[in-house]
Amino acid sequence: MESINLTTIKKELTVEASQETAFKVFTQQMDLWWPRTHHVGDCPMRNVVLEPRKGGRWYSNHENDSEFTLGYVQTYDPFDLFVLIWQINGNQQYDPELVTEVEVQFIAEGPKTTRVKLEHKNLHRLDDSKAIESMDEGWEYVMAVYKTYTEQ
Amino acid sequence: MSASAKAFNALGDPTRRVIFEKLRDRPLAVVDIADGLPVSRPAVSQHLKVLKEAKLISLKIAGNKNIYEVNREGILAMRNYLDQFWGEALDNFKKLVELTEKDNKQQ
Repeated sequence: MESINLTTIKKELTVEASQETAFKVFTQQMDLWWPRTHHVGDCPMRNVVLEPRKGGRWYSNHENDSEFTLGYVQTYDPFDLFVLIWQINGNQQYDPELVTEVEVQFIAEGPKTTRVKLEHKNLHRLDDSKAIESMDEGWEYVMAVYKTYTEQ
Repeated sequence: MSASAKAFNALGDPTRRVIFEKLRDRPLAVVDIADGLPVSRPAVSQHLKVLKEAKLISLKIAGNKNIYEVNREGILAMRNYLDQFWGEALDNFKKLVELTEKDNKQQ
């Protein structure tokens, strides 16, 4: 049966490289594999920077010398596990409150074969609008305004 | 708000996620959707309205019944961006990592 999980994206691939090489290229050479067409804001991207350690910053530099934070490193566990926190919301804006995990596992299947499993989790949190909370809160607001007016 | 943001927003509510999960199995009438949910019928109707506006579900009329079903187009549009992004990123990554491995061997 067809299964579409809306709140998670899963990708899996096998690379012909050691676990160590796979982990290092992913975490230390992100700028070399990051798709140039994808960036925050209108200005073309110069490079993407990831500080390869727990708590490390993750940001992009742009041609007009601006800088955009993308998130940070949550887990840096060479050469098995790497977790990035992605903080760009559905409107392509950085949101410091937003936490969506990009978990990347590196599984050695041979000396020169590594299975890479990527999972981008909790995508339902990408909501950017504080104004449109749940319908219930919306109605609460309307009723509060209504009450204020009627009691004047 | 973009279409994908709307859809993400709509699914931020737990009741709406339950409703959406139900509809993923098969199209249902409102009465069947409300069945087993701990919320009132008007509340269910409100949730359906939000899901419909987010293009996650659509409405069809069958006889005198309103039947709701999952709108595949809306879902695919929502996931499209990130799915495509990671796909491209990992393709690039694979090429680079395999080249790096070859270079390592030659050294």
